[in-house]
Amino acid sequence: MDLPKEIEILFRENSELAKKLSEEISKLTPKVIEKTGLERIKIMNFCGTHEWTTTHYGIRSLMPEEVELIAGPGCPVCVTPSSDIKNMIKLAMDGYVVYTFGDAYKLPTVSHYKEGIGSLASAKASGADVRIVYSFVDAIEDAKTHGKPSVFFGLGFETTAPSYAVLFKKEVIPKNLMFYSSLKLTAPAAIYAIKIHKMSKRSPVSGVIGPGHVSTIVGSKGWDFFPEEFGIPAVVSGFEPVDILTAVLTILKDLYTGKAKLTDLEYKRVVTRDGNIYAQDAVREIFRTTDTIWRGIGNIPNSGLDLRDPFKEFNAKLQLNIKENPWDYDLPPGCKCNEVTLGTAYPTDCPLFMKACTPSRPWGPCMVSLEGSCAVWARFGSSQRVLNLMKEVRE
Amino acid sequence: MCWAVPAKVISIESDLIATVDLGGNTIKKVAVGVDNVRLGDFVMVHAGVIISKLSKEEVIENIKFIAEQIREVSEITGEDPEKTVKEYTDSMYKLLGQLDEKNG
Ligand code: SF4
Repeated sequence: MDLPKEIEILFRENSELAKKLSEEISKLTPKVIEKTGLERIKIMNFCGTHEWTTTHYGIRSLMPEEVELIAGPGCPVCVTPSSDIKNMIKLAMDGYVVYTFGDAYKLPTVSHYKEGIGSLASAKASGADVRIVYSFVDAIEDAKTHGKPSVFFGLGFETTAPSYAVLFKKEVIPKNLMFYSSLKLTAPAAIYAIKIHKMSKRSPVSGVIGPGHVSTIVGSKGWDFFPEEFGIPAVVSGFEPVDILTAVLTILKDLYTGKAKLTDLEYKRVVTRDGNIYAQDAVREIFRTTDTIWRGIGNIPNSGLDLRDPFKEFNAKLQLNIKENPWDYDLPPGCKCNEVTLGTAYPTDCPLFMKACTPSRPWGPCMVSLEGSCAVWARFGSSQRVLNLMKEVRE
Repeated sequence: MCWAVPAKVISIESDLIATVDLGGNTIKKVAVGVDNVRLGDFVMVHAGVIISKLSKEEVIENIKFIAEQIREVSEITGEDPEKTVKEYTDSMYKLLGQLDEKNG
């Protein structure tokens, strides 16, 4: 048996421990409420895969009524602005070979590039050369074989940035392959979401589950600003049910003691406090921080990455003179993806959910990627739907 | 695209590219995003790049973190911390022992 299988047995299939942890959560919650005076304990995650685990394993159904688990901005595909998709469609229609991750292939634009062309998939159907790749490595190898002018649609968060940076660093990119950066940073958006909850009439966020795989790169210390500046406990957790339950229990304990000064690190089997220095150095060398647009939300200062000047010959936006216009509201009519992304609405709050918008015919961007909240809830959200029904009955 | 999966390094092409086995007969060429990758290492792969390594020692650290949380929570809820932690660690190490036995 190998290590990944052992991890599954210890952290995924260990129902005895999951039961124990959820019992402890139930015992601790009233004490936290009594001590802190909070009416609700709202815990936000920042990773589509955490939302997947939470929903897929029905973890919400194990929570006491006062503990609410919500998804924050954690899916880079969902927040890729419509203008970026349109630019990629235009390049594809102009004859460039466009490389994309499968997740972004069906992403809809808010208005069509041309009649009937509102995604890279539809551009391909009308004859454009759009190629889905597993990785940047695959795009490089493929672009070398044909030599045609090509552009890679560079999406992702901090976790994906090193996959580009290490390759740029070693100068293995062929001259015919340009890079269109749509890279985003999680922390500025996380702060944005936390502030929205704090300012609005909604209950503020009481704890956060830090994104496990972004943290492999930035380290758990990347989230210390939550306890330090906002007084909110943060736990970097893994992606198995036991990990999430432990994270919730740890947050409750931190709320009770009020002593948490730094981010707790549960996902020790993968993440360190300082993160992956090798990847951090590569990213810093290749990319600079920029303002960038988050779909449905608008510009968030210093929340994006773009290639530094020494790599400008690869920068598609510069080389192809692509203008970045000021943000215009870019969700399709009726879509609440911005609210879903900021954790102010559940997917089921959207009237189009599983009606006009389904995984096979996504209307909005959160229904496209496997880690988009709407797509996750569409596939596995029954426990939450049952929970909502139970609440209605209680009320 | 954000899905990170564990994989085994089955060949190292250069300090830049390695081939990994993602399980289920899926073999991929990926970028090396960590220092010091060795043949046979278990790693986490995300969107075509190795982002970290996995090791048994760190799995034990993970188990210990959970033990510490259980201890601190027991102190608050008035349970016997030693007893609850012992029950937890016994069950985890029993599972690990069974796994080690299977590993031979
Ligand atoms: S269900 Fe569809 S339309 Fe509604 S918020 Fe989600 S992605 Fe947007």
